[in-house]
Amino acid sequence: MKRYDLLSPRGRASGLGSANAGFGNWWMERVTAIALVPLTIWFAGSLITRSSDDYNEVIGWLGSPLTVILMVLLLTALFWHIALGLQVVIDDYIHSAAKIWVLLTVRFACLLLGLTGIIANLYIAFGVPMSGGA
Amino acid sequence: MEGKARKPSRPRSPNIQIYRPQLTSVLSIAHRITGIFLSLCSMSVVVWLVAAANGPASYIRFQGVIGSWLGQIVLLIAVFGFFLHVCGGIRHLIWDTAHGFELRHIYISGWFVIATSLMLTLVFWIASRMVWG
Amino acid sequence: MKTKSIIISSSEELPRTKFFKRFPVPKNFGISTNSRIKRGQTWPSPAGATHLKTFEIYRFDPDSGNNPQIDTYEVDLDDCGPMVLDALIWIKNKVDSTLTFRRSCREGVCGSCAMNMDGTNWLACTRAIDDMDTTAKIYPLTNMKIIKDLVPDLTHVFAQYEIIEPWLQTKTPAPDRERLQTPEDRAKLDGYYECILCFCCTSGCPSHWWNGDRFLGPAALLHAWRWLNDSRDEAKGERLNQLEDPFRLYRCHTILNCTRTCPKGLNPGKAIAEIKKMIADRKS
Repeated sequence: MKRYDLLSPRGRASGLGSANAGFGNWWMERVTAIALVPLTIWFAGSLITRSSDDYNEVIGWLGSPLTVILMVLLLTALFWHIALGLQVVIDDYIHSAAKIWVLLTVRFACLLLGLTGIIANLYIAFGVPMSGGA
Repeated sequence: MEGKARKPSRPRSPNIQIYRPQLTSVLSIAHRITGIFLSLCSMSVVVWLVAAANGPASYIRFQGVIGSWLGQIVLLIAVFGFFLHVCGGIRHLIWDTAHGFELRHIYISGWFVIATSLMLTLVFWIASRMVWG
Repeated sequence: MKTKSIIISSSEELPRTKFFKRFPVPKNFGISTNSRIKRGQTWPSPAGATHLKTFEIYRFDPDSGNNPQIDTYEVDLDDCGPMVLDALIWIKNKVDSTLTFRRSCREGVCGSCAMNMDGTNWLACTRAIDDMDTTAKIYPLTNMKIIKDLVPDLTHVFAQYEIIEPWLQTKTPAPDRERLQTPEDRAKLDGYYECILCFCCTSGCPSHWWNGDRFLGPAALLHAWRWLNDSRDEAKGERLNQLEDPFRLYRCHTILNCTRTCPKGLNPGKAIAEIKKMIADRKS
């Protein structure tokens, strides 16, 4: 008989008790979602109106101050929302010891991608080619 | 406990294998699937920015990938997924204020989300074709 | 009842599509070896009956050591009452006395006969046979440990109900007479106190399927809200502390299968949203 079967039903159901947490992640997921609605609509709309622009026009737009600010906000909110959303998905489906590793990988990947995007945009804004120039 | 016959554990009744898909569960899993798909697509936003930062040659290479027929199909699916997730997301935000929970309103808002996403994808596609010329 | 409309106004209305009756997963997807369902036997049809309906029913005999199976029965509808429970009782009386199921009130108020019929959870005594598919499929409540045939083991879900402490908690000593409550405050309990604990909602919740050991489920949370919303209760803070947990409460992603399936027309999804709102309110 497994140890689990010998626990009382109440003991099994109560587990380790309430964590008294969970609101923070829930709230930030909603805050980033609310921020993302106008930001993504702005981004999608800009891409459509500029889909026939050539390279220099795109760079000019990406380097302009308002665009830089909105892009930094977009990338921050986006990757924060992705990290929180994927954490919920991982919590739902993965229960083995692999869970913590998958979670850390996803979080670090979001941080890396968000930072890379912001820094690439800053490189464009300051007119410095990111690699040695191509 | 020695010598006592081990009782096999009780079987579990089937869940997703037999449960009827309804608008509630189908839209919810669609919201999750589009969310995961968009998370993967967000990498391409960063790749696009890095390609732009690296000069015209890398940018044109990126444009080539997106402009290919496979890239366009993925882009169309991503656009539909984006609108489904955003409209579904707004529906979720309204639920978080504890409004719109009557079954009738759940169904009306659900169909509205699907219709709006399809329409917005169509508008987006036509608009991008018009700008492209 | 069957509906042609794509807008469902009440949980009584059945899904209308002839296609997409189950999610496109393999038949025994993710089922443990001892839960895999086999084809069982077909029982003899009643002689001389003109009005027959086929029922495919989940069977499990714990004493046989076999896996669960699906047995096929033909029911004489002219000899049988109108509800699915009547059909089950007819089968037990006339064809196979080993068919086992829970039942009591036969009028939809006790919650004993909750089971999965044609893919959705409902009470067998209030589901009309005419509303079932051509071949009616009867399964026990979804994702429950099965004791025998259609009888689920409800120990765990009742233990989750116990965790939310479904009784009045006060620090003020009990008064000499009733604790008073305005009609408005009493009205806040409407739609929540009527829950009969049939667990159709909890067993229909995908989050409870995947995390049922830690997620409390719609039934327990509906009752938690019933007590949180009771003006006579003085333990709101402690109740919210017990609930605020990433798994106990926040596994709810507003899938809303619960509200769709409740045989009493209650709204567990709304109750859970109100709990989350109450937690948010006390943070600012």
